[in-house]
Amino acid sequence: MAEDKLLAEIQALRDKVTGITGTAVASRDGLIIRDDTGGVDPDNLAALTATALALAQRLVSEAGQGTLREAVTRSSGGHVAIYAVGANAVLVLLGDEGLDITRLHYESRATIDTIEALLALSSSESAAG
Amino acid sequence: MTTEGSEDGPAGPLREALTVCAAAGMSGTLRVTGHPGGAIHLVDGRVVAIETPGAPSPEVLLLRSHRITESDWDTAFAAAAVAGGRMSAELIAREMVGSGELEGVLRTALADAMFVLASGTVEEYRSEPGPVDFVLPVEPGAETEWLLAETSRRIRVLASLPDRYDLNRVMAAPGAAARPGARLVESQDEILALADGRRTPRDIAFALGQGVFATILQLARLREADLLVTASRRMTERDRREPGHQAPGDEPGSPSKLPRRQRDRSALLRNPKTAELRAPLRLLQPRFGRSPGSGETP
Repeated sequence: MAEDKLLAEIQALRDKVTGITGTAVASRDGLIIRDDTGGVDPDNLAALTATALALAQRLVSEAGQGTLREAVTRSSGGHVAIYAVGANAVLVLLGDEGLDITRLHYESRATIDTIEALLALSSSESAAG
Repeated sequence: MTTEGSEDGPAGPLREALTVCAAAGMSGTLRVTGHPGGAIHLVDGRVVAIETPGAPSPEVLLLRSHRITESDWDTAFAAAAVAGGRMSAELIAREMVGSGELEGVLRTALADAMFVLASGTVEEYRSEPGPVDFVLPVEPGAETEWLLAETSRRIRVLASLPDRYDLNRVMAAPGAAARPGARLVESQDEILALADGRRTPRDIAFALGQGVFATILQLARLREADLLVTASRRMTERDRREPGHQAPGDEPGSPSKLPRRQRDRSALLRNPKTAELRAPLRLLQPRFGRSPGSGETP
């Protein structure tokens, strides 16, 4: 089913990009859809991620810098990378200090497209069923 | 062309490229594309730093191991930035770390990073002569002969272990029963708690703030003591939330993959953070049952 494919997709990204420690997909209103966060509370993560994405998009818009590609936060203990998935969802990736950001930029686009398609499929299935 | 590290030493073309750069007395960067890939920084033909996602940087080694506190690091970093000086000089002048200890950490980080680069795949490499800017370079830089010999030694040590250890893509699974009477020391307890079936040896090294090579040797000892088993793919948290669920392809003796501790093998090993598993919320969509083939990586 779609959710298993969703998990497989974010697991595949984790295998392709060195340094990812956790992943989650949430709705734009901050509710968790799928998570494999490695011990981080998924509900809090989902809520904060949705807020951070909205803020980052607003910031980019205010600065007149076009479309947000990703919102990356770097801290002393690692990285948090946030991506919009279509208009209704958000992908968050947690990474350690060694996260391969360059490869992440490259690999994340295809993953996001696939997740978007899976979520669309999932909602059409639920509407039909 | 893709090359991999052999039992004899680092991937041949990478070894050659580094030797050529050193012989030419190059100052600049040898950029390595591959998995994990990275950048080898040279000054006057000597290696001063290696950056790779596959091995902890000196900063990670110093901070995660609590040799230096974050606030001390920030203070020294700010001072070095303001004065336009060296981070290493600031750390030593402020007595945050001894010069000998710092040199030891820097050389360990260098050898570990080279070992990881050489053990991975190298798709291509290119040299980019120019100024080198790195927070904590080894001064004076390491000679490539030493670095390559040390890398070969590490690869030989790994090849001599009874199981194969993949740095990037190793998995774990429940399997053989723990050997009765096995004794644990504190560091083993810590590493076993981290070996949860989701982390590679590289991930565990980052979490502990120690080298990847040293971590693999520790994992190998734990595996020999039957305290760790291996799986064929990365576990997810759902695999852990549903104890009866076994990841597909998991079997004792399968090729060495991500290390994982034995479930409930010892009260000593229980991690309160992982023991308290949260019931998944059913929100936008119900969580579907997991089909046997999903989540497998090629």
